[in-house]
Amino acid sequence: MRTVNEIFEQFGKAAGHPEHMMKQYLKDGKKVVLCAPVYTPEEIIHSMGMVPFGAWGADKEIEGAKRYFPAFICSIMQSILDLGIDGTYDGATAIVIPSLCDSLKVLGENWKYAVPGIPFIPMTYPQNRKTEAGREFTKNSYKRVIKDLEKYSGEKFSMKSLAESNKVYNNHNHAMRRLSDMLPDYDFITPKQRSDIFKSAFFMMKEEHTALVEELMEALEKTETKQNSKIRVITTGIIADNSDLLSILEENNMVVVGDDIANESRQYRVDAPCIEDALDSLVEKFVSMDNCSVLYDMDKKRGDHIVNMAAEKKADGIIILMTKFCDPEEFDYVMLKKAFEKARIPFVTIEVDRQMVNYQQANTIIQTFSDMLN
Amino acid sequence: MSEEVKKAKTVDPNSAKYMLNKIIEDHYAGLKIAKDNGEKIGWCASNFPQEIYETLGIKVGYPENQAAAIAARGAGAKLCEVSESDGYSNDICAYARISLAYAKLKDVPEQNMPLPDFLLCCNNICNCMIKWYENLSKELNIPLILIDIPFNPDYELSDSEFNYVKAQFLDAIRQLEEITGKKWDNDKFKEVMENSKRASRAWLKATSYTQYEPSPLNGFDLLNHMAVAVCSRGKKESGEAFEQLAKEYEQSVKDGTSTFRAEEKYRILFEGIACWPHLRATSQGLKSRGMNMVGTIYTQAFGFDYEDFDDMIRRYCSVPNAINLELSRDKRIDIIKNTKTQGALVHTNRSCKLWSGFMYEMSRQFGEACHIPVVSFDGDQADPRNFSEAQYDTRVQGLQELIDAGRGGSI
Ligand code: SF4
Ligand code: SF4
Repeated sequence: MRTVNEIFEQFGKAAGHPEHMMKQYLKDGKKVVLCAPVYTPEEIIHSMGMVPFGAWGADKEIEGAKRYFPAFICSIMQSILDLGIDGTYDGATAIVIPSLCDSLKVLGENWKYAVPGIPFIPMTYPQNRKTEAGREFTKNSYKRVIKDLEKYSGEKFSMKSLAESNKVYNNHNHAMRRLSDMLPDYDFITPKQRSDIFKSAFFMMKEEHTALVEELMEALEKTETKQNSKIRVITTGIIADNSDLLSILEENNMVVVGDDIANESRQYRVDAPCIEDALDSLVEKFVSMDNCSVLYDMDKKRGDHIVNMAAEKKADGIIILMTKFCDPEEFDYVMLKKAFEKARIPFVTIEVDRQMVNYQQANTIIQTFSDMLN
Repeated sequence: MSEEVKKAKTVDPNSAKYMLNKIIEDHYAGLKIAKDNGEKIGWCASNFPQEIYETLGIKVGYPENQAAAIAARGAGAKLCEVSESDGYSNDICAYARISLAYAKLKDVPEQNMPLPDFLLCCNNICNCMIKWYENLSKELNIPLILIDIPFNPDYELSDSEFNYVKAQFLDAIRQLEEITGKKWDNDKFKEVMENSKRASRAWLKATSYTQYEPSPLNGFDLLNHMAVAVCSRGKKESGEAFEQLAKEYEQSVKDGTSTFRAEEKYRILFEGIACWPHLRATSQGLKSRGMNMVGTIYTQAFGFDYEDFDDMIRRYCSVPNAINLELSRDKRIDIIKNTKTQGALVHTNRSCKLWSGFMYEMSRQFGEACHIPVVSFDGDQADPRNFSEAQYDTRVQGLQELIDAGRGGSI
């Protein structure tokens, strides 16, 4: 039986060195398919015996991508393309890019020429996703992804394996939700450690990740719960994985008790229902997704969703992590702000991007926020 | 350009310019009258299928057109700042910022437009549109109808996308019937389709005169006339006005005159939306060097020539921002070849992530394919703060030098 810290070490390794993880999979003879944000049908890739590998960019200086993107495209897109150009993703079989925002639409177009060695597979989702036509379109788009994956990998798709993979992913979702609920009870877990759990999920086969999450939960259950003096915050945004930023939260005595981060909990809210046709099941999963800036919502329910989460998790405040140049989030921001003000929940906004080196300003904002909440 | 023609353009009610201006004036006036009479009116995205509301006899206003007008009349920065003070980032499309500010202020003398009872959104030009209209819908507490036309990553349109979009066209009609109580009529649709075809053909014909050397028109004229192609394509008068415009250009070719009031020394493609707040500076920078913009994707963008309902849907799925890099590139190559342009000036538009997002690569490709130099400048279609006249001038100068040197390449 490993200790909590030993398990965290393993999460940290995977989260901190995705390139090692990818190399290892390749060395083991596995095929790796890159999955761009925000929702990629990983289950399909998994069901074909390949490794779905998260490609959410990295905190790095942009070089090659400057030839393709103007400066006002978000740093997540810039750095994904840059990693493609600098060879970090060499050996990958393909990249699947869902076109849920304008920057994702253009990533695919640039990718074809910037990274010709790794084929681009488009996943086109509908925005009117809850109608019959929207469902049909989603299903056809999945079929297209399957066709392309078969072409580039030589692997075969089967409904039976997809049904199995859907289960693997549902189990993982379940474990992630359960863990997320448990974590606030152990406030010695740092924001960075929490982030490592979520981040590593993108670089591990889900069954391996589920096992590790379960091992952690078991180890935690044997540990004394501690929750008292820390400031309880909820985070919202696209990404929240920068170590400097996470240490600022830690230094200011904060613990993340819940999140609405696109590459954290937004991934695990919805399961693929158990229905006969495994592809339909995946369609239903997408159709039921909500409360996300890249999914059409005329009622703009996301603000209330976070307000409810804050109440449920007994949060003291909310931190909005605004990814620079992310217009879906920038539009939602005004609505979130109104919802938080109406509910009288304290919140702060910190602009983040993947090239940020100086966290001075973020530090000051968090410090002030922490003083206020104390 | 003779004084005579100049005078005729301002007063002659039979001139295309007069007719086109009147269509826009009538458009805004008609909207106000409808609203005052208690009719339900909408706000509508520029590439939402206008055949739908035109057939139903519903009046709509165009926030993009309104934002451009406000920006061209100098109030872009003021309105952008209003939105920014509400929390909208200054990185958001300036049309959206201006429109959201207008929805709050409700009175902007530079261009008023009655407030809507419903919203018609179509994201074939960008997903930013969805976010903008979601927020309008929430702020104004009115229904929103979205026709989602996904970005097509392939060269051809798939049956899958076609079927999805068609179902939404039918849904949108049903929803609009419910909201307004008006009924769809197939005969009326045929009439609207005929009008739209006529206007589109005439627009394509008029714009095709830039192929002449020298061109009988200053390409910047099209940026103004475009408003009619956007707002009133389904109206009979629009066809008549564009036919008149084509006639005038034909006459100019015969007479050897042009609305480009300088010697046409260079013929260029201008890529991107105009910088409305700096229209004079951008136009002057070209004219002073004898550069005429003879190529623009707008010539094709509003040519909606189709035979039936299904064909019309295909057309809306293929508007410039909805198509992939290769098809976009090939369209530019056609324009460059048809208009014999010698260089391309690319507007890297801070507001428009989709239009600018793969422009570097696409313009490199069309530049290489056509052996013409490509130069870009930074600007914004409506926020005056994102444009530097000095940089623009240097870049245009650079383009001129590259053309003179007979070189391809890009800056
Ligand atoms: S959703 Fe935002 S952060 Fe993600 S790719 Fe689009 S613009 Fe970038
Ligand atoms: S300028 Fe670009 S982002 Fe703005 S509304 Fe037009 S297409 Fe969309």
